[in-house]
Parts: sequence; structure tokens; C-alpha cells
Amino acid sequence: MDRRQFILSGIALGTAASLGIGSISWQRSLQQHHNDNRDLVLSALLPALLYGALPQEATLASIELSRTKTAISDFMPFLPQRQQQELHQLFNLLANGVTQLALTGHLTALAQLSISQRLQLLNQWRDSYLGLLQQAYHGLRELLYGAYYGQSEHWQALAYTAPRFR
Amino acid sequence: MMTHHLDASQFTQNRQFVADIVIIGSGAGGGIAAEQLAQAGFNVLLLEEGAYYSRDDFIMQERWAYPQLYQEGAARKTRDQAIGILQGRTVGGSTTVNWTTSIRTPKPTLDYWHAEFGVNFSGDNDLTPHFAMAEQRLNIQLWPVPPNANNAKLQQGCQKLGWQYTVINRNVNGCANLGYCGMGCPINAKQSMLVSTIPAAMALGATLISRISVRQLHWQGDSITGLDAVPVDQYFQPRSDVRIHIKAKHYIVAAGAIGSPALLLRSKVPNPSGRLGKHTYLHPTVISGALFEEAINGHSGAPQSIYSDQFVWPDNSDKAGYKLEVPPLHPVLMATRLTGTGGQHAALMQQFNHLQVTIALLRDGFHPQSQGGTVQLDPAQQPVLDYPISDYLWRGMREALLSMAELQFAAGAKQVLPIHHDAKLYNNWGEAKRAIQALPMQALKQTVVSAHVMGGCNMSASVAKGVVNQNGRHHQLHNLSVFDGSILPTSLGANPQLTIYALVWRNCQQLITSLQQNHKFAS
Repeated sequence: MDRRQFILSGIALGTAASLGIGSISWQRSLQQHHNDNRDLVLSALLPALLYGALPQEATLASIELSRTKTAISDFMPFLPQRQQQELHQLFNLLANGVTQLALTGHLTALAQLSISQRLQLLNQWRDSYLGLLQQAYHGLRELLYGAYYGQSEHWQALAYTAPRFR
Repeated sequence: MMTHHLDASQFTQNRQFVADIVIIGSGAGGGIAAEQLAQAGFNVLLLEEGAYYSRDDFIMQERWAYPQLYQEGAARKTRDQAIGILQGRTVGGSTTVNWTTSIRTPKPTLDYWHAEFGVNFSGDNDLTPHFAMAEQRLNIQLWPVPPNANNAKLQQGCQKLGWQYTVINRNVNGCANLGYCGMGCPINAKQSMLVSTIPAAMALGATLISRISVRQLHWQGDSITGLDAVPVDQYFQPRSDVRIHIKAKHYIVAAGAIGSPALLLRSKVPNPSGRLGKHTYLHPTVISGALFEEAINGHSGAPQSIYSDQFVWPDNSDKAGYKLEVPPLHPVLMATRLTGTGGQHAALMQQFNHLQVTIALLRDGFHPQSQGGTVQLDPAQQPVLDYPISDYLWRGMREALLSMAELQFAAGAKQVLPIHHDAKLYNNWGEAKRAIQALPMQALKQTVVSAHVMGGCNMSASVAKGVVNQNGRHHQLHNLSVFDGSILPTSLGANPQLTIYALVWRNCQQLITSLQQNHKFAS
């Protein structure tokens, strides 16, 4: 087990313990916990990463965000199990108040930061000396941009339409 | 008409199959082998982890194609996440999704194999007739249509600078120049295994089982005695509720240069050379974007029609050689590679149609500092490739970024963006040159990708230096062959499909002769 796995497993154990594992439906509640945390983190990071790409109009932007979140949850099960686990752990970490402070240097929750603070945070991860944070930056970037630009509804700004062959 | 296709994900109980020959993997290697062996009268069972799709399924959208047709949803990465790997996982393997570039094995590569690994493809073993047969079978011909603008810029840059370039041979028949080869050909023009050898083999009685993952080969003494497999679920993850057992007289492993070593590692087959799963090569690839005044529309037209070998074989053997090509440009492929975040990324995406992209594929495996990667098994017994990038390769990548920027400005680019997370848009060659020379060449900072996985079960004359012999037969297990890109002892310095077709064609002929002789002795 390398250092990174150790850190992540430690945190995952902490998360599981805080859920009070032991009940019959723990797996289901763990899954729900993962989903809630993913949603929380994506709701905070997507508007920053997609700043300049999302429509100005709030309702339209919210439709695009929701479509992108669905695309992310549809895509994740195709990843190898170990990568899915790493992503779950990352979302849990970022949603968790205590570890969030360690990762972001902010006491405020991700969602309370301004868009430019969130972008600054992402850039800090990119340039971090910690391999874990660099990987988080690149992994999330690829997953989130892939999900957004995979939707034909989001191609207007690109002046691109896929050919309709049939 | 009797169906010759079974979808393992529909199996509700344990199953057993018996065949003369079982082929694991239906890509360039498995596809050629299936037809050759079926023609020779053998009862063939062809197994594929991916799904059996046809042209009507190929809707030319990345959001469908990547999860359905590629390993790990086209998001496969090396262990440290530093290299992204595009590899097919569907009936036809990577041939269903590749960009159709068909190049014979470069002679210096064959010479290197002869010198270092004792495998000799000259004289009686000359591959020329096998290249010719594969070219005829798959309609591999010079592409007669003018290149799309993305490729034309590569050509123009070479012309301006006096660099070598070549018009590409493609395996197409009736190609409509759509540009969506990477998402499955919607008109069956690409002569992938999916539309050529596999249907031919099935018409001759071969059975295809899709959505099946082979977990282990069983062996005793010098023989494989059977294999265990499981169906995969809707996300192509191995299931554990149904078991499939298969027995055959001969076993052909053709699961690709990550899948084949992984299966043999799971099976703990004899490995006295210690090379199984080692020396995996990638043609590690770096990318350079360029903005042009005029529209490039890199999504439209044959994705690859021009390449340059100006830098593949440098005189100084301490320099890493690289081949220049272009990729197709589609929204997801671009969005995930373009650098930056927020407004900066959005602004680049808005220039999507004016973006030209050049790629440089490094020829790895020909230098002491380029010994490739290692296939390992994760806790779920799935493969993960560890591929450290040496200083020798980083130096080559920096030179490649320089060459590409020089070429793009020579072709008339307004601005060039090396795909490196510290790089910016540069306005002229001088500015780009200074900046590229100062970029930190580090994992993750420098974007590296691969679409060619090779090695891991390398062929060698001596048992001490490889996993299989020159005919692709396993050095220790007599009824096991490896027929795919994993047998290559180095990378190629050329796109691999035609090399695999020709080698496997040759190796099948050897195998058929040997099996028929054994049969005579037995009867």
C-alpha cells in the first residue's frame, strides 16, 4: 500500500465509521452517501470549470449543469473499480468539512467560495507538490469536461454539429 | 439460418464449450486468426470481452462510442495517471475504432529485432507476401482523396520546411470521408475485423461469444488444459454469478498488449525469462494545437491521410525518434486535452473549428533508457500499466513539441499551443521555441497519450529473452499461441495494425501446418 492509498483508505474508514456501519442497509446508505457527496462537490466545481462555457441565463445554466451531472454518473460505472473507488473517496474528502480544510486551505465549504476562489483552488491542485492533488485536478478535469462536451446540446458555442447520417 | 453469435451476458447458468481452437480477443490478431483457421477447417470459438455492434449502432457520438467501444470508457490511464490510453474493447477490437492508417513494419525495426532478439524476418521468413495478402484482404490502398485541412497543414508545413512526408494507405472500401472512424464506421467502409474476417469466419462455422471475460487459463506440464471465463455486466465489469468453462486443443491469446499479459499473469503460466508483462511500449505521444485564420474543421474528413517520418530515425541513437501525424478533432477528445480551466478553456473550445492539431508518436523500446512499462494486476485482478517516463523520453518529447510548433507556424498558424499545462498560446516560432525549451517536462504537467499498445509477451529466438518464439508459440506451453501486438519486442515507429495482420497471418499458416501434421501423427 503506498502513501496515497494509505491516506485515502484512512479517510474512507473514517467516513464509514461516521456513517455508523453495522446496520443492514449500510451498503445502500454508503452508496447514497457517495451520491450526495458527489453531487455536492460537482455542484461547486462545475460552475467554476465551465465558467465561460455555461449560458449566462440561470435556468439554462442549471439545465446544463444537471445534464452534465447525469452524464458523469452514467459514465463512472465504466471505469475500473479501483478508479471508481478513488473518485468516491475524493468526492467524500472534498465534501467532508475537516479534510476539506486540509485540501483547500479554506474553512468555508466549497460551495461558499466565489467562482474565482474555486478556480484558484483548482490551479493550486494542478501546481501542488502532492501527487494526489495533481491527480485529482487532472482526473476531475477530464471527467467533468468530457461529460459536458459529450452532450450535443452544449455544442452551440463550438459552431459544431455532428453529422446526421441517418 | 443458424446463429453463430452468443452474448454471454444473457447466460443464466454455468456453461461449457468445446472447440478445436479458442481465440481470446477479436482484434487485429484474433480477427485474422479466426478467418485463417476457419478456412483451414478447424472448429473455432472466438471470445470477445466487448459487445457485438454493427454499423447501425455507430451513431458518431463520443458519449456513446467511448463507454461502449473502448477499454475503460476511453479513460484508461497508466498507474500514475500520466498517460491516457485509447484502446478498443468491442468485437473487432481496436480495428473497429482506429483511424485506418496502414503501414508496413519499418525495415530498421525488423533489423533491430533480428540483432537484439534473434527473430529474423528476411529470406524464407520475409513478411512481404503477408503484407501483400493482408493489404489485398482489407483493401489497403493509397488514399486518393485530398487530405482534410488538418492533415493538409501537416503536409504544407513539411513542404515549407523540406521535411519528408507520405500520403497514407488506408483500409477502406467506399469511404465517404466522414471523419468518425474513431466511433465505429457507420457505413462499413472501414475494413475492420468486424466487417471482414469475423463475418467470414462465422460464415465458415466459427462461433463468436461476446461480452465474455476470460479470467484464467489452467495448465499442467507443458499444456493448457482449459479456461475459465465469466460474462461481463452492462458496464463491461466481470460478473461472478455465472461461470463458463472452455476446452480446446489449441489456445490463442489475442487480448491486446495489456489484456494478454494480464491473462497470462492471472494464470501464473511459466515465465522463466521474467519478461511476461514487461517491456510494454506505447508510442508515447505529445500534442500541439495551433489556431489558424481559416476554418480547419478537423472533425471532418479522413482523420489521418498524411504522416511525416522526418524525425523517426535520427542519426544520433541517443535521441528518441518520433513520427508526426494528426488526430481527428471531436468535442470530448479536444475538451479533455486542451489545457486550462474556466474562461480560458471555454475560449479555446470556441475556436474548435479553427484548431489544427499535430501529434508526435515517440518510438520507444530502442534504447537502454526506454525499456517500456509493466502490466500489473490490481486488487480486482484487472490490469494496470505502470509506465515510467525516462529523461531520454522527456528529452524526445521536448524536441517533438519544438518540431510541431515549427511546423505549424511554417504552415501559417497564427498561434501555437503545446499541450502542456504550463504552456500558453505563442504568437511566433521564436517565442514558442524559447518557451518550450523552458517547460518543465514532468508527469501530468506534460500531457502524454497513446493509441498503440505493444509488447509484454515479446517474441524471441531464445527462451531467455522472450515469452513466445518467432511464430508466436509460447516457449513453454506447447498448445498456446499469442497472436497480437503483445509479441512485438519493441514499438514499431509506425501505426501497428498492418504489422499485426501480417505477423498473425504468417503465424497462422505455421500453426495450421503444425496442427495438421500433429493430426496426421495422431490418426
